Amino acid sequence: MFKILNILNLLFLVSFAQAQVTKGSLLIKNGTILTVTKGNMENSDLLVENGKITKMGKGLVAPAGAQTIDATGKFIMPGIIDAHSHIGIDVVNEASRPSTADVWVGDALDPLDLSVYRALAGGVTASHAMHGSANAVGGECETIKHRYGTLNPEEMRMEGAPRTIKFALGENPMRVHGEGNRIVPATRMGVEQVFRKGFEEAKAYMASWETYEKEKVKNPAAVKPVYNKRHETMAEILKGNIIIHCHSYRSDEILMLLNVCKDYQIKRLVFQHTNEGFKVAPELAAYGAMASVFADWWAYKFEVYYSTAYNAAILTKNGVVTSINSDSEEYIRHLYHEAAKTQRYGSLSDEEALALITINPAKQLGIDQRVGSLEVGKDADIAIFDGHPLSIYAVPQYTIVDGVVRFNRSKDAADQRLQASATRAETGFFLHKEQHNHDRCLEGAFENTATFFGLERE
Amino acid sequence: MIIKDLIFSRWIYPLLKKEKVTGFFAFMLMGSCLFAQSGIPELMPVTQTYVLQNVQIVVRPGQIISGGTVIIQDGLIQAAGKDIAIPAHARKIKADSMFVYAGFIEGLSQSGIPRPESAAGATGARTPGGQGQQRPRVSDPWNPTYEESGITPYVRVRDVFKSDDKSIEEMRKLGFTAAQVYPIGRMLPGQASLVSLGTGKNADELLLKENTGLIASFSPASGAFPSTIIGVMSRLRELYKNAARLQEYQKNYSANPLSVNRPVADKCLEAFFPVLDGKVPLIFQSPDMKSVYRVQALKNELKFAVHYADVKEGYYVGDLLKAEGKPIIISLDLPKAAEEKKPVADSSKSIVIKDVEMDALKARTAEELKRLEGQAAKLAALGLPFSFSTVGVKATDIKETIRRMIKAGLTEDQALAALTTTPAAQLGVSNRFGTVEKGRTANLVVSDKSYFDEKSSVRFVFIDGKIFEYEGKPVPKAGGNANAAGKGAEAPKVAGKWSYTIKAPGMNSEGLLTFKGSGSDLTGEWTSSQVPGTNPISNVSVDGNKLSFTSNISMGSRQVSLDFNLIIDGNSLSGTVGVGTFGTFDVSGAKIDGQ
Repeated sequence: MFKILNILNLLFLVSFAQAQVTKGSLLIKNGTILTVTKGNMENSDLLVENGKITKMGKGLVAPAGAQTIDATGKFIMPGIIDAHSHIGIDVVNEASRPSTADVWVGDALDPLDLSVYRALAGGVTASHAMHGSANAVGGECETIKHRYGTLNPEEMRMEGAPRTIKFALGENPMRVHGEGNRIVPATRMGVEQVFRKGFEEAKAYMASWETYEKEKVKNPAAVKPVYNKRHETMAEILKGNIIIHCHSYRSDEILMLLNVCKDYQIKRLVFQHTNEGFKVAPELAAYGAMASVFADWWAYKFEVYYSTAYNAAILTKNGVVTSINSDSEEYIRHLYHEAAKTQRYGSLSDEEALALITINPAKQLGIDQRVGSLEVGKDADIAIFDGHPLSIYAVPQYTIVDGVVRFNRSKDAADQRLQASATRAETGFFLHKEQHNHDRCLEGAFENTATFFGLERE
Repeated sequence: MIIKDLIFSRWIYPLLKKEKVTGFFAFMLMGSCLFAQSGIPELMPVTQTYVLQNVQIVVRPGQIISGGTVIIQDGLIQAAGKDIAIPAHARKIKADSMFVYAGFIEGLSQSGIPRPESAAGATGARTPGGQGQQRPRVSDPWNPTYEESGITPYVRVRDVFKSDDKSIEEMRKLGFTAAQVYPIGRMLPGQASLVSLGTGKNADELLLKENTGLIASFSPASGAFPSTIIGVMSRLRELYKNAARLQEYQKNYSANPLSVNRPVADKCLEAFFPVLDGKVPLIFQSPDMKSVYRVQALKNELKFAVHYADVKEGYYVGDLLKAEGKPIIISLDLPKAAEEKKPVADSSKSIVIKDVEMDALKARTAEELKRLEGQAAKLAALGLPFSFSTVGVKATDIKETIRRMIKAGLTEDQALAALTTTPAAQLGVSNRFGTVEKGRTANLVVSDKSYFDEKSSVRFVFIDGKIFEYEGKPVPKAGGNANAAGKGAEAPKVAGKWSYTIKAPGMNSEGLLTFKGSGSDLTGEWTSSQVPGTNPISNVSVDGNKLSFTSNISMGSRQVSLDFNLIIDGNSLSGTVGVGTFGTFDVSGAKIDGQ
């Protein structure tokens, strides 16, 4: 206990000593480097200086004071990236109206979320903390780095990552708003109209500001338009400044959103879940839309019955930039297993399978220039496994973010919480679940599992 | 603990005790305009000049005048120090060698603000926001009204404050003489004001300084946007920017009404104008460390003046708060250590299994509680001044909470500063309140020992020069029973069955109280129309005709403690019950089955 507190105190000091992101330097010696983009390098070293990869090769020397990790017999891969999760945030759904483009989960980052540490223990160094799927237009999401140990929410943001927004198709927005409040959208047709209405309002909003800016030149007393964050965010999508990440299952509505985006000349589009993506893979590839899918998870509700474990492989072979995501605090701990399933179902190569959880999600989040592969000049976000990460026997040993070791299996303490309850002695395992399960993408799935295994929820 | 006006105590009260005279007095004074409606005489005292002699004057934290004299006249401190001539018409207060402090000020409070009726399910066992509860329907989810959104920054304290609310008296007898209070609500509940905790017919009589700040919190609306903290933050930005827009628009319009269309008035946006002008701060409730970071981010973005309020986890963000240098109001809502449930001894099991994991979790929990207790000491050590918020705190817990903070390293001087000089400075009223000096408003607390001594009692409180007198704690006679001490009165017969009614706004709770035994062995239980089952009663105490006891009930996941304070008169009882932090309500009842 004493030791844990000391570690915590240390982290506490570190996080305040630097207002900026904490960065480290270290040398990883003599491992098998899986670069993902540029092949493998056996018995090689990787040098990290001030949070960046500066050298890769043999016989590298650690700068004075830098930590050295002996990776003999180990595999070094880029930190895993999850393009769809809800960890590290206090709020998932602002389910009060069909479009809440005005909200941003980045306002509610939660550096205390133990799920972030658990994700690190699965080699995951960054994730896409998303708004939920209760609304047709949810809200802006946040790409976070797993800098577990800081108390400052600001330090969790992946600084410079592009803005992204959550859209949702199908049953969830229909149920929450159509059935819940008897308003549009009660049908899939209605969902489309929420998008179109939102974009039309945004165009009118932009026009009103343009008029004002022109008017102001002649008349200093010109009246400003009323500020509306919802319209402003939708306008930023039209301007190409925000990537749409859309919760989707059925192929017909995937095509519907492609048509909407075509009409409004929106290029940056990623489909999430995309269970029927295999049916429309050529169309997605032609448009340049990307897909983030589950390896083999479906049938938790009606619109997800028509699914296949070959989905990721079919999309990949059709030229769609594809990733495998977790959407779960549990799956996020073994995304390397999820990626490996595409070798059983679709015979993807090692490099193709690893790309599904590294460089491809990085492309989908617009951060592939910085992370997603091991290359000189990129961020030192690294996972070290004791075996090949696509092997069922591989166990993550170290997870490094910006050159700082954030998970070290040999130093994994029993209690890794940054803050505990002052009144109840509890591990907090279910507390986070409870909060996040409401109207999330997989609503009901957890209850089914819990019932099945006879787990009692608190 | 009966409060007595001077005349009342000197003349009428002793007479009232003799029943025959009561009728005579009542007859004589009936219809007199000197009587307040309640029937309690509200007479001017013969003198408004008081003197406290040979007292320990705590002028301000760290500055004590021993054996000093304080003269109070016409609502002001006329003199405080040594070698002071005593005016002939001054009433001498029996306060020899007692401690005199400046009247305490609640940094943030809801004293005098009645709970809205919906929240007064006080004694009911309804689950707040529980599962299966229907989401309230909003007129138009796309455009909820300001009120549906919890946006009511136009609400003023003077519109909602109740000068006869019981909470005022509860705080006053602890030594609090003024409070920064604010209306109940959600993300923008209204404007805070500094009020006196004295007596007055209405809010205006007690108002000391209006609009001391706009209260903001992360508390979302129910069922309408913003229903989460991310909604709240987005909406706050929007309101702030549109308030600035409207202000500019109105300026342009008044400068030249012919050139632009008439701006539409908006009471919510206009409430932000003083904040935009830098005249008042946003008093932002930021209890946990994440809220503190979020408030800081919003402040950096929108550039409003901020007070960090209701802070509980300052232990973790001391350096941030120090770098900020903004006023801090820390919360007195300090959790208590979880009660250890002793396993029932089972002699058939000889092997005791040690739960190592649970022991580690418990140690961690205890460590966390220490951090919360140590917040005040830590901030003080960093040189940060702070005042105390009593929001959500039971009056009866306040003194003990401050003592726990002192035990965790806060000095008594630092605690006193948080009760006097710091809130006065934060509220911009240091020239009137916070110290015991000539010319200051005569708001004073007189305690028979150092206030922070466990055994101290507040004996006198002065507010605007008006005296409130309190009895000290009963001193047990050597070898005797304190309960039986009484004033020669026969101890009432408590044992038996009583019916009672608790009057809470919007709902009454009825039921039975059952007591067994006598003296210090009294035990009991109670039933209620609002709470299922029979609830045990604990801490039963009888002092003269006063009966007090407590009971804990579950309301959803929360444990709520009920504190009954009753007076027994033959076969009837009356008094009050404090229900957790929900408020204090009247109780009346009658014996239905004697023993």
